[in-house]
Amino acid sequence: MEANAIKTAQAGTLESMDCLVVVSESDAGRAIEISGGAAVRFKASMEKEINDTLDALGAVEPIRISVQDNGALGVVLGARVEAAYRRYARLAP
Amino acid sequence: MRRTMLYLPGNNPNMLLRGHLFEPDGLVIDLEDAVSASEKDSARVLAREVLRRGEFGRCEVTVRINGLDTDFWRDDVAAVVSCGVSGVRAPKVESPRTVLDLDEELSEAEEKFGVKRGSTKIFCLLESARGVWKAYDIATASPRVTAILPGGEDLAADLRTGRSKEGTELEWIRRMLIVAARAAGVDALDTVFPHVSDDEGLRRETAFVKQLGFDGKSVIHPNQIPIIHGIYAPTEHEIETAQRIVEAAAAAAARGLGAVSLDGRMIDAPVIRRAEYTLARAGLPTEKR
Amino acid sequence: MEINAAKRKIPSLIDGYGETSGKLFEGAFARVPSGYRAGPKMRAAEPNGGSKVIGGIKEAVMASGLKSGMTISFHHHLRNGDFVVNEVIKTCAELGIGDLTIFPTALFDVHKTIIPYIRSGVVTKIMGSVNGAIGRLVSGGELGTPVVLRSHGGRPRAVVSGDVHIDAAFIAAPTADRGGNISGRTGKSACGSMGYAFTDAEYADVVVAVTDNLRSFPISPVSIPGIYVDLVAVTDSIGDPAGIVSGATRVTRDPLRLLIAKYASKLIEASPYFMDGISFQTGAGGIPLAVTAFMKEAMRRRNITGSFGLGGITGYFVDLMREGLVRKLMDVQSFDLEAVNSISSDSNHIEISADWYANPWNCGVAVNMLDVVILGATEVDTDFNANVNTEADGTLLHGIGGHQDTAAGAKLTIIAQPLLRGRIPCVVERVHTVTTPGEVIDALVTEFGVTINPRRKDLFDAAADFAISKQIPLVPMEELAARARAMSGEMEPIHMTDRVVAVVEWRDGTVIDVVRQVEK
Repeated sequence: MEANAIKTAQAGTLESMDCLVVVSESDAGRAIEISGGAAVRFKASMEKEINDTLDALGAVEPIRISVQDNGALGVVLGARVEAAYRRYARLAP
Repeated sequence: MRRTMLYLPGNNPNMLLRGHLFEPDGLVIDLEDAVSASEKDSARVLAREVLRRGEFGRCEVTVRINGLDTDFWRDDVAAVVSCGVSGVRAPKVESPRTVLDLDEELSEAEEKFGVKRGSTKIFCLLESARGVWKAYDIATASPRVTAILPGGEDLAADLRTGRSKEGTELEWIRRMLIVAARAAGVDALDTVFPHVSDDEGLRRETAFVKQLGFDGKSVIHPNQIPIIHGIYAPTEHEIETAQRIVEAAAAAAARGLGAVSLDGRMIDAPVIRRAEYTLARAGLPTEKR
Repeated sequence: MEINAAKRKIPSLIDGYGETSGKLFEGAFARVPSGYRAGPKMRAAEPNGGSKVIGGIKEAVMASGLKSGMTISFHHHLRNGDFVVNEVIKTCAELGIGDLTIFPTALFDVHKTIIPYIRSGVVTKIMGSVNGAIGRLVSGGELGTPVVLRSHGGRPRAVVSGDVHIDAAFIAAPTADRGGNISGRTGKSACGSMGYAFTDAEYADVVVAVTDNLRSFPISPVSIPGIYVDLVAVTDSIGDPAGIVSGATRVTRDPLRLLIAKYASKLIEASPYFMDGISFQTGAGGIPLAVTAFMKEAMRRRNITGSFGLGGITGYFVDLMREGLVRKLMDVQSFDLEAVNSISSDSNHIEISADWYANPWNCGVAVNMLDVVILGATEVDTDFNANVNTEADGTLLHGIGGHQDTAAGAKLTIIAQPLLRGRIPCVVERVHTVTTPGEVIDALVTEFGVTINPRRKDLFDAAADFAISKQIPLVPMEELAARARAMSGEMEPIHMTDRVVAVVEWRDGTVIDVVRQVEK
């Protein structure tokens, strides 16, 4: 592994009613980026779903969550964030 | 009723959330063949969350877990038992031992998550000649076993043949499984019909397994559901007879009589049960109106 | 600011559109016509039977007398294959003609090449439906004046009533002769019916037929006779056949769409209109077409024959007629090659104008003879108002098409639509834009079942037996809305400026709603 390689993991797909979640290292705190489909009308509830999921997992910061949405309902978004974070957490530090 | 049990790919939100809308009798969330090895973890989380927070209408909800010869099945069991599913479908069951191992794991999980002990049923997929040969022993290995099912592709391969449209290679196996299931007092559910655009072929195969005595089929495409329900729907004559039986039985019960005869035929408990089942399949109330 | 009968706030004065007082929507059938139809300029043909062929588009524009500030019209029968709009606008720009109002029946993605001419002021106003790139341009506020959206019936009504005066009509003509007779049936750019072009030909001061297939005089059969046509321009190609007609239309196998279609067809079967002589319109969308397939099965089973199919016609409808399940087709727009071939060869396949099809202010409008119509919508609200004009983000998405007209005319108007498109629900508290008011919408059909407008108690009673036998799940609107909310969560509002980018007219010419610019 190169010295400056960024630790990153993802889960989900870009199929209809799904989303692709990428978890990676960040400089500080918890950065959340959302793009696509429903983001324009559901940004706040999507952010809440992401935050609640990460809180429940006791997510270690700093961390960056990037979501490409294609119409995922909250339940799906939460599951994808959880799966992506669990994969991220398993990576070697 | 288990006329139709629809497989839903475990990593596909669209189908997981919408499968129940097609009104199959049951759902099978598939964590096994429909999910690649690298996505097992993600699918398990998705299935768990959808089971917890989703809606499934009147469907019986089950999960096909990964085989007991894999590293995944214990996590699968833990994830789905915590949501209180109706049953797990176990692939590649070869012997009563497999059932007992699963039974034990289910009991532990039920204990852990506060689910009523024994409430999670087992559906056994018999996907090898060995499994089929031991069908009765497998079906009676645990009171959790509620159905046995023949495999499709894997079983054909194990028999050293392939799947034919006519189902020649499965013919004797289906006949054997129906006897084993009835002897053990469990349901016999048929395998999927894989040709999703061949409605006529599906009709033919369903009519055949229905006549053998099968309780239903696994389904891989929602469009197959109304076709199978159509074949299992009782005829007008069957409905009429069933209604008269149920009414006669109710009338007899009201007068305190144990058994009656209708058209010179004895109406006893199995006949009444059969009639009630007929009415249920026709979507009619089973009580006297 | 005023409130109209659809409970929408409408500015009293809309820049680039005018005063709205006296023009506010009052109810679907509140306004009736009075006075006389408007008329075009009188003119005479050359006494010695000369040819109307003038050369190409440039010569035609010059000969037409077109000047800056005028209104020019087009039809959209060549759909996404059309070259004529782009060529005419480009020619105007080259000739220094600007400040034009264009009055197309619809614009498609292929017309995005006129965007630079919108920016440079060659085109300053659009009255007609805008899709794709031009829709986004308008939504972003880049056109100085609001787009005026009218239905397929509202547009000819605006012309015959004198609300809109057409200075010059440029009519893409798949076949024409030197006498100016036009047909859409033949030629390499054949499009079948030319329904949308009729009223323009009858009412424009100057009518130019643009053809790539000039035949000997006279052609037959004729769609639009030469008595209305002044000039014939000949070009190499008026359109790309691949964009004009689609291939054979197939019924979807998508299970969700089939489920919705099944519920819709059961509702039709349960309705009092399901009897010999039933007429219906289903268009070319996936769900409506599947409804037709289910109805075909039901009609056979119950031994029923239909009278006519209306509107945009597909090969699927042609098959229905050939199999004897409907007697006639009334075709305002032929969607595919089979429909084009049928209208060319079968006298039971009738070409009708948009005026005949849908104009509320004539005395023989076809939609009023319609029993059942299946429509779509991006949103329906708890009052059953439907929005087909704007997308979830508030941008312009579609024209009105025949939505208002068929909903107002048909005895049974069904909107068939999945409850969720991704996370976006189709049932909301309040639609972003009212295209068609709830008073003319009878039922909404989703994957969760059939939701009947409480106004239609009779339909409830008719569906009762089907509901008891579980063939139709009946879902009250409140339950459906609650379900949508539970699955999607609360939607955040769209932030808009006060600037009006589009005016949505009801088919009678009143303002039913306006579309405001989305805040950047």
